[in-house]
Amino acid sequence: MMGTIQKDLNKNIQILKDVFKDCDDINYRFIQIGKDKRQVCFVFFDGLIDKQLISEYAIQLLLTTSESESFDMNTFKSKILDTIAKEAIAIVEVDEKTQIDEIVDSILFGETILLIDGVAKALELSSRGWATRGIGEPETETVVRGPRDGFSETLKINTTLVRRRIRDPKLKVKNLQIGRRSKTDIAVMYIEDIANDELLKEVFRRLDTIDIDAILDSSMLEQLIEDNHISPFPQIENTERPDTVAASLYEGRIALLVDNTPFALIIPATLGTLIQSAEDYYSRWTISSFIRILRILGGFLATLSPALYIAITSFHPGLIPTRLTYYVASSRINVPFPAVVEAFLMEITIELLREAGTRISGPIGTTIGIVGGLIIGQAAVEAGVVSPLMIIIVAITTIAAFALPSYELASGLRFCRFIFMTLASLLGLYGIMLGVVVISTHMAKLNSFGIPFTSPYSGLGIEEGDLKDTIIKAPIQKLENRPEFTFPKNKRRFRRR
Amino acid sequence: MQRNKISNRQIKALIITIVVGIGILSLPSDVAMIMENDGWIGILIGGLITIPFIIMIDKLFKLQPGKNFFQLGKEILNPIVFQVFLIIEVLYIILLLSYANRVFVDVMKAYLLETTPTEIILMTMLIAISYIARSPIEVIARMAVIIYPIIIIFIIFLILINIPNMDITNIYPMFQVGYKEILKGIIASLFSYSGYEFMLLVLPQAEDNKKTLNYSLNGMFVVIAIYLIVFFISLSQYGIHQLKREIWPTIAIVKEVDLPGYFLENLDGIVMAVWVMVIYGTIGPYLYSAGTILSHIFQTKVHDIFILPLLPIIYIIALLPRNLVETEEYLGKTVSYFSIVAIFIIPAIMFISAYIYNRRNSL
Repeated sequence: MMGTIQKDLNKNIQILKDVFKDCDDINYRFIQIGKDKRQVCFVFFDGLIDKQLISEYAIQLLLTTSESESFDMNTFKSKILDTIAKEAIAIVEVDEKTQIDEIVDSILFGETILLIDGVAKALELSSRGWATRGIGEPETETVVRGPRDGFSETLKINTTLVRRRIRDPKLKVKNLQIGRRSKTDIAVMYIEDIANDELLKEVFRRLDTIDIDAILDSSMLEQLIEDNHISPFPQIENTERPDTVAASLYEGRIALLVDNTPFALIIPATLGTLIQSAEDYYSRWTISSFIRILRILGGFLATLSPALYIAITSFHPGLIPTRLTYYVASSRINVPFPAVVEAFLMEITIELLREAGTRISGPIGTTIGIVGGLIIGQAAVEAGVVSPLMIIIVAITTIAAFALPSYELASGLRFCRFIFMTLASLLGLYGIMLGVVVISTHMAKLNSFGIPFTSPYSGLGIEEGDLKDTIIKAPIQKLENRPEFTFPKNKRRFRRR
Repeated sequence: MQRNKISNRQIKALIITIVVGIGILSLPSDVAMIMENDGWIGILIGGLITIPFIIMIDKLFKLQPGKNFFQLGKEILNPIVFQVFLIIEVLYIILLLSYANRVFVDVMKAYLLETTPTEIILMTMLIAISYIARSPIEVIARMAVIIYPIIIIFIIFLILINIPNMDITNIYPMFQVGYKEILKGIIASLFSYSGYEFMLLVLPQAEDNKKTLNYSLNGMFVVIAIYLIVFFISLSQYGIHQLKREIWPTIAIVKEVDLPGYFLENLDGIVMAVWVMVIYGTIGPYLYSAGTILSHIFQTKVHDIFILPLLPIIYIIALLPRNLVETEEYLGKTVSYFSIVAIFIIPAIMFISAYIYNRRNSL
């Protein structure tokens, strides 16, 4: 609490200078206006504001207007700010402020504050404008057919991108700030007559409970509000695509857009929605259903294939055809390690390569790819450290993990892969099955804002036909109703005429 | 928003996953031993007998809507009698769990893990089921919906792989059996239908009270169909004489099948994988109900504290029999007798008392 704005300009400036002590990026621009040479001061952060806007439509205009005969400051009396705003400032949004706290916040957010000597109020000129990245193509979720615009780091641009796809006054955008110090802007978007009230209330309730100093990315927010933060699986979806957000809003879900990050959060997420990708809805239903099935297969392969290799080679060689057994045995004849060691060795190597590849991009990244793919793979086989079959398994695992549209889900499954490998090395196929049932139970236990994570596979939504948009994606004409798992208020989506 | 209601599909899936359990492996040879080719009559009638009891359980909650099993029991029965009932149920469940686990472990050892010690298999399975048993009931219902299609797909798979080698003439002659054998066969098959009594815990949480009966009967019919299919497939595959000799004919037939253009030579691996799921879906809910009943006997709010202490008891009882014969002779027989009390007599008594209680109160 720093009190109210004083009448004396110098006192106000002194207070501000105390607050922003050692902040060298703040600017105080003094000018004198009118016949009485009244001192006024513009306060702003360099770099956070649109400089051209302020200099042309505020400073210059104020100076020229105050030159005119009719502009006599002493006659305005209490209406002085109002008159200046009306006659001498040509900026879209202006607001009067009386508290020091308020103007400190405004300056930090990139607004310009106009203080006038002899007036115990300040004028806030909306002037936010900083270097932005612009709208680029989303890097993680590219599509062959479909819109190419992706979110950027600026919240305003992001909400606009969504609103352009939902031209409906029922699309609500609620702004709030989270973070004691970062004061990060968060926009909660939902369509009022579709989204379930209880779900919405729960989202706001959880957002209210957050007390943290800074939110730097939406993933931090995600971890703070999700139901089970210990689980390896994500319970909130994230996307870089405005069309995905719009589609989710139409399904009765709720989107959270966070300033300074191109990733929006979508609530709730279920196993069904995590294997959907934007392109499924832009392709013909046959091909998108086929790809959905491939993805599910990919999920299983990414999780289970090394474990199955271990189980079959060391526990149940009889399960595969005899000739294959001979082949596997002969290819492993020079390998000095048991299958477990071999599998762990290669899986950890590939994880290391992946990690190195993500951190380093460009020419060095390519080098790592070559070193990893060619040299380690080829040399390891030739040196007889691993069998060629193991290399194939590792390759399948890695590729399969990328087939899943949700990176978070794929990471969760990648983590589970090591659990399965351990179980397989101890108990063979039986161990794998125990892992499968326990992890399925874990998934069945998970909730996303009270909505079962495994829906619609585990009951909720089956009755209403949500399965039409899960393993197979029915033609758009058949998806007449919105998915039921979100309990939408308005159910009908498609109507035949 | 928290959802702990059980939907109708979940009720159907629960009935199927809980009832289809250890019985499915040995049932064909059990009834064939008594009734020869007419074993299916025993399976069919055994299944139909459960139907009035399912109706009774359903009506029980409709007589006193909004109350759960325990509130109902305290109200309509003498508290001491009700406590005795609960204790019988817990004992029955502990014995059943030991028996089911023992059979499961023996099958595992016979077909998949020849060298792994029994104790290890048993222990790991118990730890795994303790996870689902400690969850709330809606999680069990969700798991049931996940497991149930796997059972159905497996049965379809079983039919498909057996079509090439099927010899329909093995099914004949039909209708040769006497009344005495039919009665014995029905009793032998009854135990395979235990599990529907779990509805006593589920129905009070049902989402849509009107259609529960439909869906639970539906589930039971699916179970009867599964058992009949398995019986006929085993019979047509083996003929009656060999079927009588097999202990677990359902696995044995799969083991003998060679798929055309085979990739997987011995399909028993797949059967075992499904078998783990089937058993998990059966004994998980049983362990849950044991915990829940104990939590009401001891008046605690949560049921999960009782799950872990139960595990050593089940473990010890399951390891008591020295071999397969003893398992069937001692554990199997005891559980069958207990099951008649636990799944037929107790629900019936509760229904009749509820009916009398309602009549008395309405007058």
